[in-house]
Amino acid sequence: MAGDVHNKGVSWEVQQNGTLAPVDRLREDRSESPTPGLVEGTEPGAGQKSAMFVHSQSFEDLTADSEVSTETHPEGDCALGEAGEEALCLAAKEKIQIELQPEVEEEVRPESRSKEEDVGSEVWRSRRKHVFVLSEAGKPIYTRYGTEEALSSTMGVMMALVSVVEADKNIIRSIHADGYKVVFLRKSPLVLVGVSRTCQSDRQLSRELQYIYYQIVSLLTLTQLNHIFQHKQNYDLRRLLAGSEHLTDNLLRLLDRDPGLLLSAVTCLPLASSTRDIVSSSLQAAKAKNLVFSILLAGDRLVTLLRKKDQSLHHMDLHLLFNLVGSSSSFREGEGWTPICLPKFNTAGFFHAHISYLEPASDLCLILVSTDREDFFNLSDCKSRFLERLNRRNAYQALKEALKCPSYSTAQVGIPELRHFLYKSKSSGLYTSPELPLPYQSEEEQERLMGLYQHLHSRLHHSTRPLRSIYQCGETENLIAWVTSGFELYLCFSPLGTKAQAVAAVVKLLKWIRKEEDRLFVLNPLTY
Amino acid sequence: MLMISPRMASGMQEKQYTPSLLGFFVYNPLFGPREGEEEKKILFYYPSEVEKNEKIRNVGLCEAIVQFTRTFCPTKPAKSLHTQKNRQFFFEAEESFWIVMVVRNPMVEKTNKDGKPPTVEYQEEEIIDTIYGAVLRQCYSMYKLFNGTFGRAIEAGGVDLLRQRLEKFFYRYLQTLHLQSCDLLDVFGGIAFFPLDKMTYLKIQSFVNRVEESLSLVKYTAFLYNDQLIWSGLEQEDMRTLYKYLTTSLFPRHSEPELAGRDSPLRPEVAGNLLHYGRFLTGPANLKDPEAKFRFPRIFVNTDNSSEELHLIVYKAMSAAVCFMISASVEMTREFCEQLDGLVGPQLTLLASDICEQYNVNRRISGPDKEPQFKFIYFNHMNLAEKSTIHMRKTASISLTSVHPELLKILGDINCDFARVDEDEEIIVKAMTDYWVVGKKSDQRELYVILNQKNANLIEVNEEVKRLCATQFNNIFFLD
Repeated sequence: MAGDVHNKGVSWEVQQNGTLAPVDRLREDRSESPTPGLVEGTEPGAGQKSAMFVHSQSFEDLTADSEVSTETHPEGDCALGEAGEEALCLAAKEKIQIELQPEVEEEVRPESRSKEEDVGSEVWRSRRKHVFVLSEAGKPIYTRYGTEEALSSTMGVMMALVSVVEADKNIIRSIHADGYKVVFLRKSPLVLVGVSRTCQSDRQLSRELQYIYYQIVSLLTLTQLNHIFQHKQNYDLRRLLAGSEHLTDNLLRLLDRDPGLLLSAVTCLPLASSTRDIVSSSLQAAKAKNLVFSILLAGDRLVTLLRKKDQSLHHMDLHLLFNLVGSSSSFREGEGWTPICLPKFNTAGFFHAHISYLEPASDLCLILVSTDREDFFNLSDCKSRFLERLNRRNAYQALKEALKCPSYSTAQVGIPELRHFLYKSKSSGLYTSPELPLPYQSEEEQERLMGLYQHLHSRLHHSTRPLRSIYQCGETENLIAWVTSGFELYLCFSPLGTKAQAVAAVVKLLKWIRKEEDRLFVLNPLTY
Repeated sequence: MLMISPRMASGMQEKQYTPSLLGFFVYNPLFGPREGEEEKKILFYYPSEVEKNEKIRNVGLCEAIVQFTRTFCPTKPAKSLHTQKNRQFFFEAEESFWIVMVVRNPMVEKTNKDGKPPTVEYQEEEIIDTIYGAVLRQCYSMYKLFNGTFGRAIEAGGVDLLRQRLEKFFYRYLQTLHLQSCDLLDVFGGIAFFPLDKMTYLKIQSFVNRVEESLSLVKYTAFLYNDQLIWSGLEQEDMRTLYKYLTTSLFPRHSEPELAGRDSPLRPEVAGNLLHYGRFLTGPANLKDPEAKFRFPRIFVNTDNSSEELHLIVYKAMSAAVCFMISASVEMTREFCEQLDGLVGPQLTLLASDICEQYNVNRRISGPDKEPQFKFIYFNHMNLAEKSTIHMRKTASISLTSVHPELLKILGDINCDFARVDEDEEIIVKAMTDYWVVGKKSDQRELYVILNQKNANLIEVNEEVKRLCATQFNNIFFLD
């Protein structure tokens, strides 16, 4: 238990010393069949060197107000002192019609914003999850469904409820009713409200609202956000955020479906470790002075991530980058250049991201993150050098081959009763999961399965009554979830499976993951 | 309740506070719709010392919360509000009549060394909504049992009468709420049934029939032994509330003198009369007393339909207790009570010793009395039957349990999971303390087992529970 919470509330600077990161290990140290006694860092999927992410920033971490500590040391970080100042001057200088705009354009997507639907109508009311963002003056900033205008009185009531409870030196958290709940998150200068019919816990919903909050901060920086509202309490933030709603929409969709956001982890493109190592070292060679992170993505999967020594990326920031790339096709048309705040790194300043696909039709997307806003050409050059090296070492072809099967089926594991699973290595912050099998391919079923995982997750990670394992047998499936100091595991079986099969499957699956870990995880993360 | 755990090492002192009642109020928004008249909405408010404007503000917040949630579901408004410091539970007991209970979250107070004020940390995820929601509904059921519905009071004597009744009832009742020891059993609100062989059961039934025939005024009868129900003529819901009242309030109040008098079996007032041990638990304490008053508590049953007002006579001989309910329109007299005492006393005494003997025979057959091997809670939604080997004794003040409160809360969590879907389900969890907790729901029945086999695996745990089901429940639970 202590292992799960020891990082609670620790600010990211602490991890930078690397004291909590696993030390280099030889492969021989890694036990053949993992047991719960495994030390964190030796579980399947654990990185060989220090971790890529601000790791072990587990679920608990996200619910703690860790950015408070970064705010109190605005210049605690050497790399970003400048960036912070820059953000301030940016805010002062321009009426930032965000530089993002040209690149991130609204697209027509199947699940486009249902703006037209009537607020208060049956359809609107029965939505699975509403999200509202408002200012402390009660002004609407965002709604997932319906229009902000139509909701201004409702949002006014929300703000009133928040204020009345606060007047009592208390904080409103949530309202529960039969079949749905309303969760409030006060993140000054914003207020976020979620109305959900899912079975998620308050904490999970509140965490999703934090994601939305950080999504907005990533566009503006907290410094600028504060500045705006200090200047004009009544400001209509939609003016600044216009055109970025689809980022929030997409993030909400990811939260409903992507296990990575639930697990605070990222999944990788299955790739032979030799190829991945070449890709990593090629990216390592293509460095530049102000380059902090280089990230190669294949769709929503990580190929590799390079970082400046002593700098770690928080998985939440990475998810926000994934969301930015995934929400827009405009990066396919050429090299994109956009300021982005990585709020878990520093809420005060902007990074500048060079985003481009290796080929227009390819799923391989390269994100180069720099501290310098004038770095576009430098980074563009980095990209060419990377590509050149990749071609020279014949890795590009291998990479493109691997792209043809970006996932694997549960059948490959060789456990007939097993339908699906999630496995997260805690120390590396990476997870692996097969593609969704037949019963879960429709949108509703996919979200239902996620709902089951979310529920197991909330029970395992309950703030006062955490559990070691949970087995749940119902009419539609059997599930087993297990958390140890090294990993988290969720298995979904057909309802006909027995407990004995489930127990055997866990052992077999862990062996399989150990055998495949070279391919499924980034075991050798590099730094510049 | 307060527990102090000094931490010597850090030199700090920690005070742990359990959940407690912060407020309890009843309001009807229709009674003061205009501005400036808000106070009229409030029918009852605890604690009464609270300043008027604060009362109005707190009631206003509840109204606003309920109204706000109607935006998202007009038919299912808010049931609870979670805040950092407390939880508020809302219950629309009768149309437009709302009862609200405010419970403070458990908290830890840490004293600071250098004269700084103590820091308080609220444990926000400790309280389980379903448990306290059930407690709130129980408050209303209990009120209704002794007073009838709110609507009835209004009809009989207007808002003033309702206010009086609420004041009179809740003033005392709220002091008996022990919020720190509420658990899964409060959610079930079940009835423990006394296990009995057919022969003895028939004897009891024929006793009830005979008495009802001889005393034609008796409308309903309920028969209990050892605080467990054997026979009841009431509707299930009414019996549930009455049972709660008998076992947590009336019986415990009378158990003390009984225990004290165990060696001298006869009541002083009937010394020399070896006929029976019967006595009234409600009404006259001593029939021979010329000053005796023949007043019995009034109860209201079938409030959903006809609503009947009844006298509640509880008569006890040894461990057997019988409730006789008689229409309130009939006046209770000395003659009737003497007749009842003379008729029921000797028969009930005999019956009680019969049951006791039978019970002891059964116990000998089933093995010596020992600490129950399995710690479990069973509940059947169809007949409200409840059985717990976790709760040692229920008293008015506190329920003693043999397991850690944390485990009981896990039972509560599993119960919430079962409530989500209306299908058979099984959940097995391993707690951080390595205890295993198993929950099974099958065909309206729920079973929760706590196993202290720390090194067992899932399969062994499953085998254990199977054994329990085979011995205790005749294999009711088939789901595997």
